[in-house]
Amino acid sequence: MKNVLLLAFTLTVLFVLNSCSDTKDPDEPNEQELITTLKITFVDSANTSIVRTFQYRDPDGDGGNPAVQFDTIKLAPSKTYVASIVLLDESKTPADSISNEVREEGTDHQFFFTISGVNVTTSYEDVDDNGNPLGLESRWKTNTVGNGTAQIVLKHQPGVKAAAPGDQSLGDTDIELNFPLVIE
Amino acid sequence: MRDSASNQPLPFASIYIESLEKGAIADSMGAFALTGICKGTYSFRVSHLDCETKYFSLEIKDNGKYDFRLAHSHHSLGQVVVTEEKKHLVTTQTVTAINAQQLEQTSGTSLGEALKQVAGMSSIQTGTTISKPVIHGLHSNRILILNNGIRQEGQQWGSEHAPEVDPFIADNISIIKGASSVRYGADAIGGVILVEPRHLRSKPGYGLELNFGGFSNGLQGVFSGMVEGNPIKLAPFSWRVQGTMKRAGNLRAPDYYLKNTGYSELDFSTALGWRKERYGMELFYSQFNTRIGILSASHIGNLTDLQQAFESPVPLETSGFSYTIGRPYQQVQHHLLKANAYWRVGNAGRINAVFGLQHNIRQEYDKHKPLNDSLAALNLPELLYKITTYTTDLVWEHTAWGPVKGQIGISGTTQANVFDGRFFIPNFRNFGGGIFMIERFVKLKYELEAGLRYDYKYLQVFKKEKGVVYQFDNRFQNISANVGAIIKPRTTWDIHVNIAKAWRAPAVNELYSNGLHHGAASIEIGDSSLTTEKAYNAAISFNLHPLKDKLHLELAAYYTYIQDFIYAQPTLPPTLTIRGAFPTFQYVRANADFKGLDLTAEYQVWKGLHLKETATLLWAWNYSINDYLILMPSQRFGHQLQYHFDDKGFWSHGFVGMTLTNVLEQKRVPDNSDFAPPPSTYFLLDFEAGTHVKLGKQSLHLSLSIYNLLNKSYREYLDRFRYYADQPGINAAIRIKIPINLT
Repeated sequence: MKNVLLLAFTLTVLFVLNSCSDTKDPDEPNEQELITTLKITFVDSANTSIVRTFQYRDPDGDGGNPAVQFDTIKLAPSKTYVASIVLLDESKTPADSISNEVREEGTDHQFFFTISGVNVTTSYEDVDDNGNPLGLESRWKTNTVGNGTAQIVLKHQPGVKAAAPGDQSLGDTDIELNFPLVIE
Repeated sequence: MRDSASNQPLPFASIYIESLEKGAIADSMGAFALTGICKGTYSFRVSHLDCETKYFSLEIKDNGKYDFRLAHSHHSLGQVVVTEEKKHLVTTQTVTAINAQQLEQTSGTSLGEALKQVAGMSSIQTGTTISKPVIHGLHSNRILILNNGIRQEGQQWGSEHAPEVDPFIADNISIIKGASSVRYGADAIGGVILVEPRHLRSKPGYGLELNFGGFSNGLQGVFSGMVEGNPIKLAPFSWRVQGTMKRAGNLRAPDYYLKNTGYSELDFSTALGWRKERYGMELFYSQFNTRIGILSASHIGNLTDLQQAFESPVPLETSGFSYTIGRPYQQVQHHLLKANAYWRVGNAGRINAVFGLQHNIRQEYDKHKPLNDSLAALNLPELLYKITTYTTDLVWEHTAWGPVKGQIGISGTTQANVFDGRFFIPNFRNFGGGIFMIERFVKLKYELEAGLRYDYKYLQVFKKEKGVVYQFDNRFQNISANVGAIIKPRTTWDIHVNIAKAWRAPAVNELYSNGLHHGAASIEIGDSSLTTEKAYNAAISFNLHPLKDKLHLELAAYYTYIQDFIYAQPTLPPTLTIRGAFPTFQYVRANADFKGLDLTAEYQVWKGLHLKETATLLWAWNYSINDYLILMPSQRFGHQLQYHFDDKGFWSHGFVGMTLTNVLEQKRVPDNSDFAPPPSTYFLLDFEAGTHVKLGKQSLHLSLSIYNLLNKSYREYLDRFRYYADQPGINAAIRIKIPINLT
């Protein structure tokens, strides 16, 4: 009985002391891990000196201010590009790279590319530890000129990732971006 | 007037001299005065809501003090008939009291679920594990929960933030339906829920109470124990220690398990009291700890995922049974410290001082751990709030000025909130003060009541952006008022009429939220220019109990008009993020009204056979869009048939019964306002049986309940997870209560 009371008293004192916190000096919002930026770099497989980079950047994360950069992917016709994706958390200083973690946990992740409006075909260039496609590296083959969209989706599929070619309907969406795509 | 067993005063007991048609109602300390009575012998009828009415024949010789003692009604203990016309609180408003034996029938469930059965009440849910009470369509910041006299202060604004109250603490729960701001403070525009622990023991000796509960669905186990004492050698002193443990695993809908819907709870409380006739004080401390699993399938990525979830007949993630609570989950701790004291000041009356301190820590964990292994190993919450609240109340209940009784009081609050992690609401400080006066003019056949209150609120908000702290100040003030009457021309019926004006300052989320609400998969944006909500409420309730208690009828009608009602309105286009599009809600104001009817009727059809009908009807309209108001409870009906056995040998209070609950499809919703149409009408059948067994001197309360007996699949409109999964299926509950008394 006495112990319970003593415990109650101690707890009370502790939380009273603990609660004298700094309301007036708030911390900046600090999301533990955020994907703010997707950077996709296209390298012409015939001439590796031709490099094109496109980005989506929303440095303060979901909500708040809208994205500061949302590029149109511009590629040349009748070419084959090797595309690599880098994911960043730019809300931290220095910016944190998330793509390494996606690669490490490749068996739980997969990128999906859906092209509409223009004739561009995509294929995977990398695999996870189980030999299933991942998509941090991909191959894009362009044909005639035109305008369309390139949807890039990253699915988090812990424990449920399907064998090649994968299943986009499973898991949760970590990224879903519809880049305007121009072949010119 | 006192309780014959415990010697406790009987507040608001009534005394009546039949031959003179004269009577009085006791004050909160059981004291009463009858004047102008000639010498002679009279028959006094003394009644109290907890006791059986008793007749006393007494010779009045001279002016003097007379003591009346009533025994607690043993007949009513354990009876399951809900006697809602009984009032613990004397007010001209519509009040429903739920007593200990009714609470016993719902023990092991949350507060929100326990109150759902009452006419006028419903609950807003976030899956099966989070439930908040709704009074006449209003909830969260619009109703107050007074836990042991202290206004519950956590992060009430969120509909997925359940009240941190252990229902096992309560000895009775009273629900005031309609604006009750004058006594309880601004914000209470929807109503007030008073959770009242039992009085500290005043009879020398020790008491022990053990409660066990086992539920088949989720294999839930509940244990609650209480020890109390009043030492013979130290009469003014009494104490109590109480604690509750709950553990549940994944619940099962008729067709599948609901993944990650387990929860655990550990609560304890302790109370110390020192009571003398002229003064007394009490110290109370309680701690509430819970970890609540959140349905895995409800944490979705974006609009595309949401669309997929609707279209799938079964949740996109199901599982087997497990007690493991994985991500996403909430972990909440709530401390409450209360100190109160009263003095009886000569002829001036009674002064009551209450001090409360609350500290609430809420941690919310997202579905996915960070990808970064070292970050993930820390297992930090994605969202953390700490809020500390101090409340002080000083109330003077003055002695009757002729037929006028009343109270005058002041109250003050300070509050500080700190967040860590993802931004949703900012840090803030809140200062509030109020002053009020309520006077009652009490006659035997009628009572009049009038109250007035003024409140001032000052909200300081602090936000840091790029190293700079910005401060925003908001000041709100307004008056609350009410007038009402109770008319009771005969003992068989009475009418309560009440008109009230109340207001509510916008909450911090309505003003400053800005971000992704994970549980809701939506982006919510506050508006710092929002002004106070003003509510005007008129209510009338009619209580009839003729035919010598064979029929009880309570019909309550209300109309509430809320000016500048704040709600989250879907806005287009959806917010585009790296994760795709998210539905976006903006806090806006509108003028709205609420019309409703609550009906409770109990009828003794035949010896021992009782029929009870309840209906909760509500129509709510949004004048700004000239359409129905979104997210309002749909019409619900309850039909209960119970048979009460006669006591025999060791057996007493035996009953068996069935309840049919019928909830209609909510058709009164604005077009294109929701992601999916409201779920269809459902019927639920529950079975209940119980008895008390006497083993020697020891009695044992046993009961068996089977909820959703027909294992029906259904979804509820006010459940935010209606998009993803069905409600739980059949659930059998066994409850055992062992009250032990040692003198």
